[in-house]
Amino acid sequence: MNSGIAISMRNLCKEYTREEFKVVALDDITLDIAEGEFFCLMGPSGSGKSTLLHLVAGIDRPTSGSLGVLGADIADMTDRELARWRSENIGYVFQTFNLIPVLTAWENVELPLQLTHLKRPDRLERARTALEIVGLGDRLDHLPKQLSGGQEQRVAIARALVTDPAIILADEPTGELDAASANEVLSILTTLNRDHGKTIIMVTHDPRAARFARTSRYLDKGRMMEMQTPSVMD
Amino acid sequence: MGKHLFLIWKNLRRNARRSILTVISTSISVFLIGSLLSVYGMLYGSEVREESALRLVTRHKVSLTQALPYHYRSKIAAIDGVENLLPMNWFGGVYIDQKPEHMFPRFAVDQEELFDIYREYEVPAEQLEAFQRDRQGMAIGKSIADRLGLRLGQRITIKGDIYPFDPEFTIRAIFEGPDDFNSFFHFKYLEEGLGPEAGSHVGVFTIRLRSVEDASSVARAVDEMFRNAPEPTKTETEAAFALAFVSQIGNVKLFLLSIGTAIVFTMLMVSANTMAMSVRERTREIGVLKTLGFPSGSVLGLVLGEAAVISLLGGVLGVVLTLGVTTAMAGVMVQFFTGFTLPSWGVVACFAVALGVGLGSSAVPAAVAARTRIVDALRHTG
Repeated sequence: MNSGIAISMRNLCKEYTREEFKVVALDDITLDIAEGEFFCLMGPSGSGKSTLLHLVAGIDRPTSGSLGVLGADIADMTDRELARWRSENIGYVFQTFNLIPVLTAWENVELPLQLTHLKRPDRLERARTALEIVGLGDRLDHLPKQLSGGQEQRVAIARALVTDPAIILADEPTGELDAASANEVLSILTTLNRDHGKTIIMVTHDPRAARFARTSRYLDKGRMMEMQTPSVMD
Repeated sequence: MGKHLFLIWKNLRRNARRSILTVISTSISVFLIGSLLSVYGMLYGSEVREESALRLVTRHKVSLTQALPYHYRSKIAAIDGVENLLPMNWFGGVYIDQKPEHMFPRFAVDQEELFDIYREYEVPAEQLEAFQRDRQGMAIGKSIADRLGLRLGQRITIKGDIYPFDPEFTIRAIFEGPDDFNSFFHFKYLEEGLGPEAGSHVGVFTIRLRSVEDASSVARAVDEMFRNAPEPTKTETEAAFALAFVSQIGNVKLFLLSIGTAIVFTMLMVSANTMAMSVRERTREIGVLKTLGFPSGSVLGLVLGEAAVISLLGGVLGVVLTLGVTTAMAGVMVQFFTGFTLPSWGVVACFAVALGVGLGSSAVPAAVAARTRIVDALRHTG
């Protein structure tokens, strides 16, 4: 693997069977994403964007091809190794936030730290800091149902960054948000990339969201297309 | 796992009503199991005391409800190994009313032999003499006297139910000792009240042996002696007699086992359904936890942990309920048996059953949750 490359895919394929039909989700994808990149993957529904994100996160496995993430060949890892690797290296932001409804914002953000050796006071302190970074230092004890959609997504981002991962994967992070909230979330992701050096891979079908990324590529029917969109960072 | 206790607790509070109902259902099941174990312990768990081991009881071979001729007394007394012999008739009757707190057993006996047979009973000499001298005298156990507030010299009337006779007694002796929950009166007084025919038969003979080693030979000799008589006998140890008394209602062990199995099975089904439902509606969250890096083992532990907490809470509640009810019921049960309480091994068994059912019922949902692929879990709706 080349130095400075965060993610390297070579001839990556993903097939699965749905109701007796074979579906090719990703077809021969070859792609490098540099460390510190804000990379946007666009495409229509069913194009394979989320599948690609799942493979990078190690929550699904490729059918063929090679996939290196941060120098590790994650296709060869056991489920347990993958879980540990993911908790240390990947932060994941879902479209539907996926916060645990019975936990407060603070507890939701602290959750990934339960997999570390940190003591509870340290975990809580880190979770507070993460929430302050996303501007929710005053919403620590709020339950998800007491937050707006934009706030929930910011909690989800705090949860993704609390373990200080090198890569943050965001799957349609603005898909459920109004324009103002979407802008807030995208600004936070931009800050994390620009000021904290996080490599960010964002999947979206919203061209306005894509403008926040430095590089964009288009995926259609599982195949990668060339595409360049103007970036707000240019 | 300790770090995840917090998450387990939060998950249990997610649907508080369901968790509380499951705890209550588990506690009622544990209470029923505990009650069965208390009955089992009372019937089969008590140790045979040295004094009790020296006693045999001879009854009619066919049934306890059939009486034996009084004249068997002299024949049994002549058997080698028999030291004393006590004819006994259970009287029944009602003291004040039918309320459980007023119940205590009453036996017509030979007042001269009584305390030679039951040597573990301690009674002051002057009280013994007063009891033996007074035809209407009654000797009662201290536990009855304490429970009913009876005292020496007090007169009581028992209303006959089986027998058409309402005897009046004066309490002449209060004895102390293990199982001092009985009362005794003169056999002659019963005979007077019911007529001479009543004196020709007795319910049972209690035999005191010279030594424990004589038990089987004496029992065999008694039964052999009356094998071809119109009223054949069955002689057994005092402990076996007590169990035979209970087994009149059927095969008690099988009965207890059947009910216990049914309860455990029902408990398992209810608990399994609850856990399956609870896990199913959190499938997506399980996917999120795994995405955050929680390994399958932790997810397994979370689900099993929830079931274990519910089971143990239900177990504690059930055991407390059992101890409370058995303590309250002990006063009634004392008519027939002592030791109606949940024994320590029963407490352990209750917790083991509760925990076993909890873990058993959640094993499948937990394994399914642990095995669920993240992408499938995240796709789950509903």
